[in-house]
Amino acid sequence: MDRSDLYAAALGAALLLPSAALAHHGWSWTTGENIELTGTITATSLGNPHGELTMDVDGTLWTIEVGQPWRNSRAGLADGDLAEGVVLTVSGEPSADPDEKLLKAERLWIYQVEYELYPGRD
Amino acid sequence: MDAVLDALVGSAPAQWLRFSRWGYAAVNTTHVFGIALLVGAILPLDLRLLGLWRSVALEPLARVLVPVAATGLLLAMTAGAFLFITRAPEYAAIDLFLVKLALIATGALHALSLHLGPGLRNASRARLRVAGATSLSIWVGVLVCGRLLAFVAD
Repeated sequence: MDRSDLYAAALGAALLLPSAALAHHGWSWTTGENIELTGTITATSLGNPHGELTMDVDGTLWTIEVGQPWRNSRAGLADGDLAEGVVLTVSGEPSADPDEKLLKAERLWIYQVEYELYPGRD
Repeated sequence: MDAVLDALVGSAPAQWLRFSRWGYAAVNTTHVFGIALLVGAILPLDLRLLGLWRSVALEPLARVLVPVAATGLLLAMTAGAFLFITRAPEYAAIDLFLVKLALIATGALHALSLHLGPGLRNASRARLRVAGATSLSIWVGVLVCGRLLAFVAD
């Protein structure tokens, strides 16, 4: 191993990222099983890079990850559909940490109308 | 401070970018392009200062790499400012983001103090080695902090 190999190895080690549980990104941090929640939206934080809702489910506040603007609009959601006070049913994968009331939505229903954020995924 | 952050996020450019698909993608890409130029240029220069590639003359190497790195930093900071305002209160509340900003300020001041001080031509070899090590750790640190933001924030 010459000196430039050593530098390359050191640099590689420095750039290795920990594979922590990651909200937003992928599904590695979820249980892999779908659950369904129904509740009322109490707060929204929509837009890039990630959209989020807070939803009151029988007195427990859940954070629901929805899509970026393009994903929400592809699903058929219009501005104002995801707003405070709207009653929502969501199906998706919750965080593997049961204390973290966090769910990544795959599809949702408002007044029985289905909006699919991740078509074909279940 | 909170009022300033709220005003930033409520501004017209921030609201436009926050809900624009391709606008956000373009600014995001510009940010990555700036980082690629910055790190891609500063890393070989820092390794040269640390003693690698001694047979390559420092001056012509620096004449190419310093302006490329500086341009990359400016691009990354400009695009980064736009990304920041779309979610100003959220980013400002993340410790890692503040660490990243502090590292950027330190890295920029460090580079300025070398170039406006002795300069690469007149600085002692020891000073250049320390500068190379410092700069390399700072800019790689900035890159790691920036990427990790996506993995620590809620």
